[in-house]
Amino acid sequence: MSDTVSKQAVIEPHATAVKLTMLISGAVFALMMLIGVIMRASQGGLIDMNPAFFYQLLTVHGTGMVGTAGFSGAGIMWYFLGRHVPLSKNMYYAFMVLFLLGVVCILSSTMIGGFGGMWTFLFPLPAAQAGAAWPVWAAATFMLGYVLIGVGFLLYYLAVGLALIRKYGGLGRALGWHIVFGRAEADDAPPPTVIAAAAVTVFNTLGTVVGAAVLIASLINLYQPGFEVDALLAKNMTYFFGHVFINAALYMAVIAVYELLPEYTGRPWKSSKPFILAWSAILLFVLAVYPHHLMQDMVMPAWMIVMGQIVSYLSGVPLLAVTAFSMMVYMYGAKFKWDLASSLLVLGVAGWTIGAVPAIIDGMVVVNKVMHNTQWVPGHFHIYLLVGQVGMSFGFMAWLVKDKTRSSEGLGGLDKVLLTSFAAGSAAFTLMFLVSGALSVPRRWAIHWPEWFVQDRIATVAALVVVLSVLTMLIRYATGLARSNET
Amino acid sequence: MQNVTLIISLVLMLAVGLVFFRAVRAVDSDTPLTDVETKRSRLIWGMMIVGVIVTLGSLRDWPHAIPTSGDIVQVNATGGLWYWEIDTTEVPLGKTVVFNLTTTDVNHGFGVVDEEGTLLLQTQAMPGYTNKVKYVFDKPGEYRVICMEFCGIGHHAMVNEFEVLAELEG
Repeated sequence: MSDTVSKQAVIEPHATAVKLTMLISGAVFALMMLIGVIMRASQGGLIDMNPAFFYQLLTVHGTGMVGTAGFSGAGIMWYFLGRHVPLSKNMYYAFMVLFLLGVVCILSSTMIGGFGGMWTFLFPLPAAQAGAAWPVWAAATFMLGYVLIGVGFLLYYLAVGLALIRKYGGLGRALGWHIVFGRAEADDAPPPTVIAAAAVTVFNTLGTVVGAAVLIASLINLYQPGFEVDALLAKNMTYFFGHVFINAALYMAVIAVYELLPEYTGRPWKSSKPFILAWSAILLFVLAVYPHHLMQDMVMPAWMIVMGQIVSYLSGVPLLAVTAFSMMVYMYGAKFKWDLASSLLVLGVAGWTIGAVPAIIDGMVVVNKVMHNTQWVPGHFHIYLLVGQVGMSFGFMAWLVKDKTRSSEGLGGLDKVLLTSFAAGSAAFTLMFLVSGALSVPRRWAIHWPEWFVQDRIATVAALVVVLSVLTMLIRYATGLARSNET
Repeated sequence: MQNVTLIISLVLMLAVGLVFFRAVRAVDSDTPLTDVETKRSRLIWGMMIVGVIVTLGSLRDWPHAIPTSGDIVQVNATGGLWYWEIDTTEVPLGKTVVFNLTTTDVNHGFGVVDEEGTLLLQTQAMPGYTNKVKYVFDKPGEYRVICMEFCGIGHHAMVNEFEVLAELEG
């Protein structure tokens, strides 16, 4: 490890709050995965489950995973951004409290109220089934939970945005635009973490505001059915919000790679011109790509569907040619010692990049015609979220406690077992989704036809392996935290 | 289409995975890495060229194009919680069929699968809108209509059928 880099890395602002964020995130990830195992077992005919309860679990699983990915990503970004700009601790605690209040609302709505309208709450389903499949209060509480989480995230980005503007004089300069569009020297570029944080702050603020608008409209419609919302507009707003939010979770988590990999390679991650341009492209692409979720809505303007396909493909360029490529270049010949943290961070970027392949292919109109809303979709998003986002989050967690575990030097025997089981289990689990997608198995069906049971059952076993590895990594992290408190 | 998609995806995923595997092995390399930015530029240009070819090739014939004249059979279908109402139970073989889809309540997804369970076409059905999708059936037999957009607790049970008949030709 390079002394130069490691000495820069000793600042730990708000470490306690972030460590708590990651502990909560890890526990919720594990719990949601367990729910995933139960659902796959039910689809495979291994256990009997009432369809209504299945859809409640699926709603909890989707909401819980997406929300926790955002929560853990926010923890990672806050931790590392604090190395470069002063951040308000009170704002972070306000964000955490609002997020957790939102979680309480969502859990009450689904597990007590029986709400099962999915994490996408597609208008007008919450209201259409209110009073029949679930009570009105359950649908309202679900949406209120989202609003609380959204307000929490807006406060979070307000704090980040203000801190960036104070230090750099504007978000444009924090994005490094004075380097690529002005005359400033490359040495004046902000650190990679700042550039990434500025881009995420811009696109996820816009995403959250649009999400809040469609939620408020849906809430009013719930109590005043005369207040009608155009279904196509609501769908556009919902998928814009959902796409931007989940991308933000990934782009916040990758900051851990920018900050931690240099500790292993001894080579600081530089804000080169390609890096700055890549992040400007990411900012544009994340905002523009969402129509690829609406390719089977033929009433959408054709240019938007075409844009969805083109931007979907273009989104792979900064990921592959900048993030993944640069990581490989920094690693080349660095002779660093592998440990659980570095291995999970590299695996995370690999999982994200590999998962982008079936996603981009599904983003082609001709393919989407027969793959949309089949299990192909959870196939690709589970690769980049499970292996990518969760992988990077657990990599960061392993780094947080890396001097506090028994295998603190290098990659121990247990670490190798954990890595192998997490990677192999995830590969088998997601492959079964992709195979099922190719066999035209629809997603989000509580009851599966018997001819689909084989993939469901293999996926159940594979998911169980993933859950066991994640639970063990969580225990390793919790015991590491406990040891840090003792010393 | 589905099998080809699966094979191409797996091959490309494997190729990307192998690149990462080589990068992991190269951590211990003693050979200096040269021409990094040239390699990056080639990768970006390569991706751009492939992207242009794939985009033009896949969109040249607009996949959602609906014929407005000629020998077309119109089929109207409406989704509701949790049923499909279709204005015919018989569809001719070898003719362009245009399905007009709407819904009385929430979003649904109109998907047609053949006797082997392969999804042939789909479109969303939305309140207040009519989506159109065309298809030419080349095999007679029973076809199932399933729901491809989550619509509540009866989503998986929202199934209907129609038959494609050779004798309806011409």
